[in-house]
Amino acid sequence: MAKIILCRCEDVTLHDVEHAVAKGYDHLEEVKRYTGFGTGPCQGKECLAPVALALARLTKAAPSTIAPFTARPPIEPTPFRLLASDPAAYRFDDEEPLEPDPSGGP
Amino acid sequence: MPRRLPCPDELRGDPVEISLGDATIRAFTGESVAAALFAGGYATLSRSLKYHRPRSFFCLDGHCGGCLTRIGGVPNLRACQLRCAPGTAVHGQNAYPSPDLDVLGAVDLLFPKGMDHHSLMTGNKLMNAVANRVVRQLSGVGRLPDAIAPAAEPAELLTVDVAVIGGGPAGLAAATTAARAGARVLLLDEQAALGGSLRVDPRFGVAVADRAVAEARAAGAELRAGWTAVGCFPDDNVVVATSANALARVEAAAWVWAAGGYSVNLPVPDNDRPGVFAARAVGRLLCEHAIVAGDRICVIEDDGPRDYADALIAALTQAGALVERVAAHEVTAVRGRGWVRAVVAGKRRIDCDAIAVAAIPAPASEGPRQHGCAVTLDAAAGGFAVQTDHEGATGVAGVFACGDVCGYRGPVAAAGMGERAGAKAAAHAAIHAAIQAAIQARAR
Repeated sequence: MAKIILCRCEDVTLHDVEHAVAKGYDHLEEVKRYTGFGTGPCQGKECLAPVALALARLTKAAPSTIAPFTARPPIEPTPFRLLASDPAAYRFDDEEPLEPDPSGGP
Repeated sequence: MPRRLPCPDELRGDPVEISLGDATIRAFTGESVAAALFAGGYATLSRSLKYHRPRSFFCLDGHCGGCLTRIGGVPNLRACQLRCAPGTAVHGQNAYPSPDLDVLGAVDLLFPKGMDHHSLMTGNKLMNAVANRVVRQLSGVGRLPDAIAPAAEPAELLTVDVAVIGGGPAGLAAATTAARAGARVLLLDEQAALGGSLRVDPRFGVAVADRAVAEARAAGAELRAGWTAVGCFPDDNVVVATSANALARVEAAAWVWAAGGYSVNLPVPDNDRPGVFAARAVGRLLCEHAIVAGDRICVIEDDGPRDYADALIAALTQAGALVERVAAHEVTAVRGRGWVRAVVAGKRRIDCDAIAVAAIPAPASEGPRQHGCAVTLDAAAGGFAVQTDHEGATGVAGVFACGDVCGYRGPVAAAGMGERAGAKAAAHAAIHAAIQAAIQARAR
């Protein structure tokens, strides 16, 4: 069965966005929370603009009145070990980075 | 079928063998894992989260999540961002028993109109508990890595006059201009090779990109490929960047955001079929890897600028592919569950073995937004475009933006805007330095 996919990470379809708007969730942040679009591995890189433009069409809002959702760091997938490698990430000078558990953890 | 064209050895690199599951695949060290898998005839790498629809390559820029797979025992790596090495071992993920033949794909057929997870089995407490357990089993993305990751290299603190984020036509022009004006310039780009959209555009290609890179380097700019700006912290005047195994804190007197745009899809039925590529991905395969994506390629267009699609179609045709174009609003179906077979537009059927979606790229405005820059949604700009004046000033002191991140304008106009923004950023950094010197002189 044909689906028009707007967010491939979370399988959010145009139908889902229409459904959200019909339920009264007609702001971008609400559509995000209701459908989950933009919350997958790509964090909205592929879907933010298409969903926002679809929302403008569905709600007849001027595109310029629609604000994007907040894009928090990290912008790209980032291993925690890289963040932990920054000395400034430690609050106290005497705090040593944790040694990895050789057993592979609990 | 994808086809490797004859090309100079230095473009393709050395022949190596990689594996996908039990299969051995011929590859080259100059190819991304994604390009090699595709050229080897392998399509489906994983399944989507909810409906378990087959997932495959789309943007080949490292932005879409389409080629997330398990490589060398590490889950969720982007196959398009890793180069082939001897013995690179790839495994599909999020599918049972395999991405090609996934029994959970039945979910897609059971819910032809989609599944509203808000009302799924929530009426009955027992069913709800069962559903929760099942859903948690089904919707995982990958298993934990086989081994503990190597320790990261020591973090760096990089202090420069002008930091440029993005090494495409706009960023390279900005870096060159700012460095020639005497600024210490650092340029970061997340791709393995610098040049951005120049590298995937048949009108320019790898050679033109390399010339622009050489020019920036000759001007004295420090250029780092394979470095991603992962976050901006304006209160600390810091951008944090990461490479494969290291982190850097970047501090600059002036910032130039030249992050370009992301390839996006167009809203046509079954637009997520394996074999649907972003047009720039087809361009990357051709220009960077000398791979023609298919024998018969259908280009789906929206009503945006046609210059890139025109150039790509000409180059694909010259490479021996049959190319047909169709407007997105006419498309009524995309056929081919495992791999695309045809595009249907009303009564017209276009048989094809690859689809290139030529949509306006969406401005990669996350970094500028974190920096406090204003953006505006505009269909003609491709999405949320950074607002600037003609010189690239964003309204935030010391923060400039140029190129497609300010709305799609193409490589030539992007480079022009990069020059202006680079000059302004260098001037801002020079004033900043003069003020700092005056403050220090007074303190003495």
